Amino acid sequence: MKSKKRNKIIKKTIKYVILFVIAMFILSVVVFILARLAPGDPLQAFYGEALDSMNDEQIAAARARLGLDDNLFVQYFKWLGGALHGDFGLSLKYKMKVQDVMGPLIGNTLALGITAYIVVFVLAIVLATVAALHEDDLLDKIICKVGTATYYIPPFWLGVVLVLIFSVNLGWFPSSGAYDVGKQNDLGNRIWHMILPLIVMIASHFWYYAYMIRNKLLDEFRKDYVLLAKSKGLTRRQIVWKHCLRNVGPTIVSIMAIAIPHVISGTVVVEAVFGYPGIGNLAVESAKLHDYNMLMTTVLLTGAFVFFASFVAQAINEQIDPRMKVTKEIRW
Amino acid sequence: MSGNLLELNNLSISFDTPKGEVQAVRNVSLQLKPGEILGVVGESGCGKTVMCKSVMKLLPKNAHIKSGSIIVDGEDITDYNEKKMRQLRGGKLSMVFQDPMTTLNPTIPIGKQITEAIQKHKKVSNEEAKARAIELLDLVGIRDANERFKLQPHFFSGGMRQRCVIAVALASEPKILFADEATTALDVTVEEKILNLLLDIRTKLNLGMIFISHDLGAVAKVADRVAVMYAGKIVEIGTAEDIYYDPRHPYTWGLLSSLPALAKKDGELNFIQGMPPILIDPPPGDAFAVRNKYAMAIDYEKEPPMFPVSETHSAATWLLDERAPRVVSPVNLRKRSALWQQIQ
Repeated sequence: MKSKKRNKIIKKTIKYVILFVIAMFILSVVVFILARLAPGDPLQAFYGEALDSMNDEQIAAARARLGLDDNLFVQYFKWLGGALHGDFGLSLKYKMKVQDVMGPLIGNTLALGITAYIVVFVLAIVLATVAALHEDDLLDKIICKVGTATYYIPPFWLGVVLVLIFSVNLGWFPSSGAYDVGKQNDLGNRIWHMILPLIVMIASHFWYYAYMIRNKLLDEFRKDYVLLAKSKGLTRRQIVWKHCLRNVGPTIVSIMAIAIPHVISGTVVVEAVFGYPGIGNLAVESAKLHDYNMLMTTVLLTGAFVFFASFVAQAINEQIDPRMKVTKEIRW
Repeated sequence: MSGNLLELNNLSISFDTPKGEVQAVRNVSLQLKPGEILGVVGESGCGKTVMCKSVMKLLPKNAHIKSGSIIVDGEDITDYNEKKMRQLRGGKLSMVFQDPMTTLNPTIPIGKQITEAIQKHKKVSNEEAKARAIELLDLVGIRDANERFKLQPHFFSGGMRQRCVIAVALASEPKILFADEATTALDVTVEEKILNLLLDIRTKLNLGMIFISHDLGAVAKVADRVAVMYAGKIVEIGTAEDIYYDPRHPYTWGLLSSLPALAKKDGELNFIQGMPPILIDPPPGDAFAVRNKYAMAIDYEKEPPMFPVSETHSAATWLLDERAPRVVSPVNLRKRSALWQQIQ
């Protein structure tokens, strides 16, 4: 029985690894082709203003040197060969290896993104539950109104206002950067720098999810089994916590999985406003400037994240609700 | 105490809706004794379910008790608040709902849903609760209860789920069980078994039960007494024999005549013309008058009171007034009654 179960897990893992490889392959091909179909010249990113003063010969030479004159097939397999060996190519903008550009910044973005992500969802679930418990009462109305208002405050504006109040006037928090000079190993200092960006990220995201969860909970609360639970003598709170929240669980987990790239890409604005060094900006820049290799890497990274997240979400959902198991018997 | 488990005295329930006040239950009085099954029949929307849910206080917020009182086991619960009601729900009162496919929480194992109900009302350890739950599953006829205890509802068929719902309802030893169309969603062979189960439970636990249905056959099988409801009112109430073999109210005649067994010679079914009235501003007089071919002028003007027919039997129709012309029940019903008396 046990070894059978283990076999199943191994089989499943292998299946998902193969799926992952296929998904990444397709994603890379699509992004590769789309990036090159987009109008614009990557040399612009590499040489900037200097491109205007170069003659055709020089430009052709530069193209050859950067491998931009091969046909798409050759270019793609060159890139693939490098990527499989851990070399993601040269960033045309920074004239450095992609991983060297991203390396020091990715940690900052992840720290900001993941913290925001966790807080956003804890807050969303708690507020959604409280609002659902007090449906149509004053508390619910206040939460909904305030939540909607915060959701529609533009994050760049909120960021500027927060800087104005808490950095310029009160001087409580720093206005920019991820750490003070010479203090990059000081955790407290990093957290201190993260607080304002975090507030902006949370304010601009939590209500979207909280409202979704609240409405889902209320839908759930209208279901028949709630009537049975009520007729057992359970309180509304017990029903929401023990029955409804559990049944909404798969939805929440799925939303959380989809939200990962969403929240992480939400760092872009925040990074810009607070001068926070992260990869959010890199991703946008790379698309704008035809920095092919950088673009590929950021997209694939996000793709891998999404894939991994949905894999975890599926596993969790199967635990919560066994009906979600993908079985062999189901054919369509 | 009068020995009644449940007493409704002139109970009226109204819903406030944007279109006006819907008088879902109007002036209903009934009594239920321990070990008795009261069948409640009537068309959809005649207030059967609202009446039951009002006792459980499971109605939506816009419903309110307009007048009358609800007395459970000698206690007047008309004005009970949510907190007090929670003690009663699952305690003295329990309910089985219509659709077993949706009334169980799909993600929680059956056993847990039963122990939850047990532990809500009694401080018992998890093991004791589990033992009791398995006992209950046995009682409602689920075999291998020990194993099935851990399974989620989707492993069960409709009939088994309804058994589980009954087990949940019985978890805290209620005194009154409301079965709200408990067998309507089941196919007939399963229905038969569930009805037998309900009868069985009644004898074992000496429960009072209110059995709501629009299936006259099912009611005939289980009910000791039957109440016929129309437009929010009880129009006839009596023992099952009274209602089935000596009905007095034209509406009851109509209901019984529409049984397929009493179809016309050419196989066409009998039916009652028209639709029940809308209960916002119900018509004056007898609400059934417009559909009643025996209606008299007074039926449109004045509401008929309950006329006693016998000690156990009464009906609200002016036909029973001594001044009314003698009207006999439809011929097919009379034939049936005669047949029944022969068998007796």
